[in-house]
Amino acid sequence: MSFGRIAAIVRQDLKILRADSMPAVMLIVMPLLLMPFLKPAFNVALHIEGHQGATGAEQVVPGMAITFGFFLVGNVSLGFYREHAWKTWERLLASPAGTGEIMIGKMATPLLQAVAQFGVLFGLGGPLMGLHVKGSWLALCAVGAAFGLYLVTTGLAVTALCRTVLQANAVVNIGFLLLAGLAGALVPYSLLPGWAQDISPVVPSYWAMQGYKHAIFGEGATVVGPILFLLGFSILSVLVALVRFRIKDTKVGLV
Amino acid sequence: MTGTGNTNVTVHPSDDICLGIRGVHKSYDTVQALSDIDLDVRGGEIVALLGPNGAGKTTLVSIIAGLRKPDRGHVWVNGIDVASRPQIARRQLGLAPQETGIYPTVSVRDNLRFFGELAGLRRQCLRTRITEVAEAFSLTALLDRKGQNLSGGEARRLHTAMIVLHSPSLLLLDEPTTGVDVQTRNRLLELVRCLAEEGSAVIYSTHYLPEVEQLDVSTVAILVDGKIIASGSLAHLISTLGSASVELRFSGRPPELYLPDGTVPVGNDALRVPAKDSPAVTAASLLQRLDGAGGELREIKLLQPSLESVFLAITSNTPSGSEGSP
Repeated sequence: MSFGRIAAIVRQDLKILRADSMPAVMLIVMPLLLMPFLKPAFNVALHIEGHQGATGAEQVVPGMAITFGFFLVGNVSLGFYREHAWKTWERLLASPAGTGEIMIGKMATPLLQAVAQFGVLFGLGGPLMGLHVKGSWLALCAVGAAFGLYLVTTGLAVTALCRTVLQANAVVNIGFLLLAGLAGALVPYSLLPGWAQDISPVVPSYWAMQGYKHAIFGEGATVVGPILFLLGFSILSVLVALVRFRIKDTKVGLV
Repeated sequence: MTGTGNTNVTVHPSDDICLGIRGVHKSYDTVQALSDIDLDVRGGEIVALLGPNGAGKTTLVSIIAGLRKPDRGHVWVNGIDVASRPQIARRQLGLAPQETGIYPTVSVRDNLRFFGELAGLRRQCLRTRITEVAEAFSLTALLDRKGQNLSGGEARRLHTAMIVLHSPSLLLLDEPTTGVDVQTRNRLLELVRCLAEEGSAVIYSTHYLPEVEQLDVSTVAILVDGKIIASGSLAHLISTLGSASVELRFSGRPPELYLPDGTVPVGNDALRVPAKDSPAVTAASLLQRLDGAGGELREIKLLQPSLESVFLAITSNTPSGSEGSP
């Protein structure tokens, strides 16, 4: 395993991202634009949940980070489909880079995007939305890291399961709505219908939301449980990828 | 180079052989893509791989590059077994696949840099090689241009340039001149010759027979239905398998005539007739037969033995060979 070759793949993907950065920027701008509209409703919901003194930012900032974080799953897939569409995948495979180096390199850039996205949303959450982290920033970062890892490994699993970029987009779009909804990211958990509350704990985004809220509110709740669940889901995604990913499969990318 | 076809040897190739292939078989479901391929290529040699569509050329190139595994047999690059140590073997080779593959949204320089970095080049050494390769491939003025803004020929030059940065001892070029103009084709052929002169072994798969003559290849290997059915130097193949012929071109469809065995249609308006004696004698005999047979003869060509005649003679005797072009 060569760090130099992994770094080369990451640098190349970052250059490609920089050359067409608008979609990545939108994943940060869109949640920032939505937050002020949703904050008042979330303020009421948090008071109903019993969080006296909450401003609504405690729900809207992590909620939007989770909702728009799901698009990074698609970005991981896009990184692979793009190579197929540009006919560079075969060249990459014929280069001295090993399969492991290619996979890690291709996942690293979306992971860096996740770090940037979460960093900006939570960083600006204070000055723009009045987010006050009463618990621990360290715990918040740990939840963000575990959720980011879950997103990129899921991206790899989606790539393994889908043959075309259109299939991957469909999976990401359905997954984004379903998992964000069930997480309590779009509507606070306490306001979800009973059936949705019952199945929420089986989706990873629920644990991301719980982890973020525990880190923000403090109140003695630990983030260890949510982080472990997120890591467990990440391992599951890696297993799916290991079983189904065929490095020499032909993928159809429309880029 | 040798391409013996049916030798059952599994010995490790000797040190001076850059590429050694022994008994390679490959099939896809029920289709036999490659059968009993043996080939040795030394540094500085250019081996032209010819064959009709579907003959197995690309499969063979992919196996050499470690992209596919043979069902049986072995491939060594500089003594390194490609199947068991693909990553190390790939450091010794450069593959330019059939389809142009470049990163369109980054610059020519970044395309070159990326593959240089993957090959282990760093800092000043990498910068120097980018400058040298760009110069050699006439890309210097385009270094800061994005891939998507290159012409087809420029993109094809970049596509090939990306594999030579680390000076590989084996170059695998799969139809490198597909879709390029005459100038780019000539430039690429000149570069391939230079790389071979510098000591690289070259596997050159192509559909264009004149390129093989222009490249001054060491060996021609003709692949049909997954088997090397003829190999040797160009001069040897032409002298042993080539035949002279006469080409008759008409205004419209050729008339119905009794013609010697081996006569083949060329397009809709021409016939190529093998010349058993000299082409001139055959032409005179044909003109006599044409007299009164109808059809308006537009052109008559006397063709000396050539690689094309070798190729047609070999491939027209095989089921799939008669369908494809070289």
